[in-house]
Amino acid sequence: MGIIEVRDLHYSYPNATSEALKGIDLTIDKGEFILLTGPSGCGKTTFCRTLNGLIPHFYNGEMEGEVTVSGFDIREHPTYKLAQHVGLIFQNPDNQIFALTVEKDVAFGLENQGVPKEKMLEEISWALKTTGIDHIKDRATHEMSGGQKQRLAIASILAMKPKILVLDEPTSFLDPLGAERIFRVLDTLNREYEMTILLIEHRVDLATQYADRVIIFSDGRISNQGSPEEIFTDEATRLAGVGIPRVIELNDRMRSRGIRFDKTPLSPKMLVEQLQSRMKRVDRGRKAVDPDLDLYAGEQYVNPIIDVEGVSFSYPGVDKALDDVSLTIHKGEFVAIMGENGAGKTTLVKHLNGLLRPQEGRITIEGSDIADMSVANLSRRVGLVFQNPDDQLFSENVEEEISFALRNFGFESEVIEKRVDWALNLLDLERYRKSSPFILSGGERKRVALSSVLAWDPEIVVLDEPTIGQDYAQKERLRHFLMQLRTQGKTTIIVTHDVEFVADCKPRIVLMANGKIIADGPIKKIMTDVEAMAQASVAPPEIAKVFRELSEYGLPVDVLDVDEAVDVLSQFLEESP
Amino acid sequence: MSLLEGLRFTRGDSIIHRLDPRVKFLMTMVIFTSAILFLDLLPLLVIFLVQIPLVFIAKIQQEWTKSLKGSVFLALIIFSTNLISYYFFQGRSLNTENVETALALTIRFLNLITSFSLFFLTTSPDKLSLALEKARIPYEFNFAFITAIRFVPVLADEAQSIMDAQRSRGLELDKGSFLNKIRKYIPILLPLIINSIRRSLDLAEAMESRAFGATRDRTNLFELVMDSRDYAVLVISLVILAALIYMKLYLPPFEPLLSYRVII
Repeated sequence: MGIIEVRDLHYSYPNATSEALKGIDLTIDKGEFILLTGPSGCGKTTFCRTLNGLIPHFYNGEMEGEVTVSGFDIREHPTYKLAQHVGLIFQNPDNQIFALTVEKDVAFGLENQGVPKEKMLEEISWALKTTGIDHIKDRATHEMSGGQKQRLAIASILAMKPKILVLDEPTSFLDPLGAERIFRVLDTLNREYEMTILLIEHRVDLATQYADRVIIFSDGRISNQGSPEEIFTDEATRLAGVGIPRVIELNDRMRSRGIRFDKTPLSPKMLVEQLQSRMKRVDRGRKAVDPDLDLYAGEQYVNPIIDVEGVSFSYPGVDKALDDVSLTIHKGEFVAIMGENGAGKTTLVKHLNGLLRPQEGRITIEGSDIADMSVANLSRRVGLVFQNPDDQLFSENVEEEISFALRNFGFESEVIEKRVDWALNLLDLERYRKSSPFILSGGERKRVALSSVLAWDPEIVVLDEPTIGQDYAQKERLRHFLMQLRTQGKTTIIVTHDVEFVADCKPRIVLMANGKIIADGPIKKIMTDVEAMAQASVAPPEIAKVFRELSEYGLPVDVLDVDEAVDVLSQFLEESP
Repeated sequence: MSLLEGLRFTRGDSIIHRLDPRVKFLMTMVIFTSAILFLDLLPLLVIFLVQIPLVFIAKIQQEWTKSLKGSVFLALIIFSTNLISYYFFQGRSLNTENVETALALTIRFLNLITSFSLFFLTTSPDKLSLALEKARIPYEFNFAFITAIRFVPVLADEAQSIMDAQRSRGLELDKGSFLNKIRKYIPILLPLIINSIRRSLDLAEAMESRAFGATRDRTNLFELVMDSRDYAVLVISLVILAALIYMKLYLPPFEPLLSYRVII
């Protein structure tokens, strides 16, 4: 019998019209590392909640079927008992930290269980070491970075020594490097301590290499499960709207061109090994393939629209958030500002519509200094869409929500009507016109927030972390939309740490670190600048990782996406017998 | 709000910080009661001056001065209302004695502020909660207290994000009539409230997952233990309190510092 046994599980939330879980059968063995993925709203989170009895004890509603965890029927044991066997870690680290200092927070669960002090100190020190945060055990919890907070959340659960860890999208708010660190911690726990791990993730690129088994959820059911190789090469997975790890996708496409590898690669490292065994080292005489110079030069723009000149800014009591930043953005350009959390990206874009004012330096938009313009005035031209839609939705229905800004700007009612219609159509929201924004799903709420800004058709659109918490299909949709804006000649700026998204969209990249711009240029130039990327703590895209290792064979290092990689590799492998 | 800032704990390390919170509270209460006990300028000034070395030992001069500066306005109000009322009740005349009493009342007020800021500036909420626990206050209250403090910076960030988002959608908070201005806070308050409700659900889930309420016999990672220094401070505080009460009851009253003279 497995450590988790689920038999014909059905569940519906109170007052819900349809079931959230529609018959789940699943056995998970001790020591397995499972990657569970699926489109947003498919019931992944609901399923997690049954594993430690939050459903049915905390949430009412109707549950049928059976769930046993470590041999305990979850119906018959309260959550605090089950918590000793299965630890749940949630998406937002801020909402799972209760104490004011790190050490005390790790102790919280143990204190609740009445563990004696000596034992407690032992468990805490182990948990902090395993997650790699023992050097900051006295730090105040609100002073930690997002990645550290999430590792603290894991440590706090670990200290209670559960045999099963369930993590519900734990890396949503983290940059790729932070996410990788979390996955490595999980890998250690799995291999060294034989913990059973159930990881729910959209980030299949980084997580797949650790998984023994992949489970695909779709519409409240398990639609497919098996080894990562099987699942991600199965056409059904793609149809379920789940992302495919880039290296596996590359492998697939190579196969369709008649080039086969012995094993399906699950990580860039594996792919590199397989490629290396096929390639002969080129002699020194043969030069690397010449890069495409046009791509290096970037597209040519002539009309500067935003000019940031030597801007510095600091928040009270903190070091410089922006330190002598200068940047010119042209009309119609598509720019991505990248860098670690706290590098100054959001601070910079908040200057563009006057939410923050430069303490030194100046900003001009189309030649005129913006120092004396009000936020409302500037916002007409620079539309800022923030990361979390819940920080701005407040209206009774979507229509009202979209017209809010239009009314603030004093548009006439006929114009407002037209604009609202246009904005609803633009992002495919027409059918939600009269729905309350609060009942919509996360992805839909994000679209409402976006269209509520696009409605007044600002010349410049700025999106702060548009891909956070979005699943594969939603990201694809966003990407198409951004391309559409681009063809309309709109100036678009995105702030993001989603390097794969950027590799697919190919904007101009502005890299920031410690309040400074450390590199700026076309994506191919920046992504191959190993030094600047490391300084900004931005991980290269998966495909770039592969090509970085292969330059000694005479392959170009500046390949960033699957399409290009397939072309370059198949040409190369055909040439060299 | 600088008055409140003088009450917010900032991390530091000193003998005062390390003092058992219960003893420290007693110490604060002794200063507090002694300020209530006397109405003469001299003892109140002495009480005020006694706190200054303590502030320097705790290295909280900056924050402490901030709280003093913050209370200047209230202090001025106390001083002037006292003088004005004397002036009118005595038939439009004032003497130095009145000035002295008004001054004494003002210093008394400052004593109350500074004694409390000395306590709160040097006592971490964690220690405070331990003290509350020792005082047998139910853990639920204690937990609520710590959680409230924990989420102050989180909520402040969130409020800022909401303001930024709505201002970017053309909301101008400072324009319009008074009623209009109030109405303009709806787009800010609603998301804040809804987010808080969502957050409280998340928190409840996380609490359950951390075995909250599993046993009545909760243990504690840190325990309050009184050491010899704490006992020393405890005894000294009590002796001083006793001496002050004795002085108040059995010694002759203080001579006024300013001589009796009619000003107006």
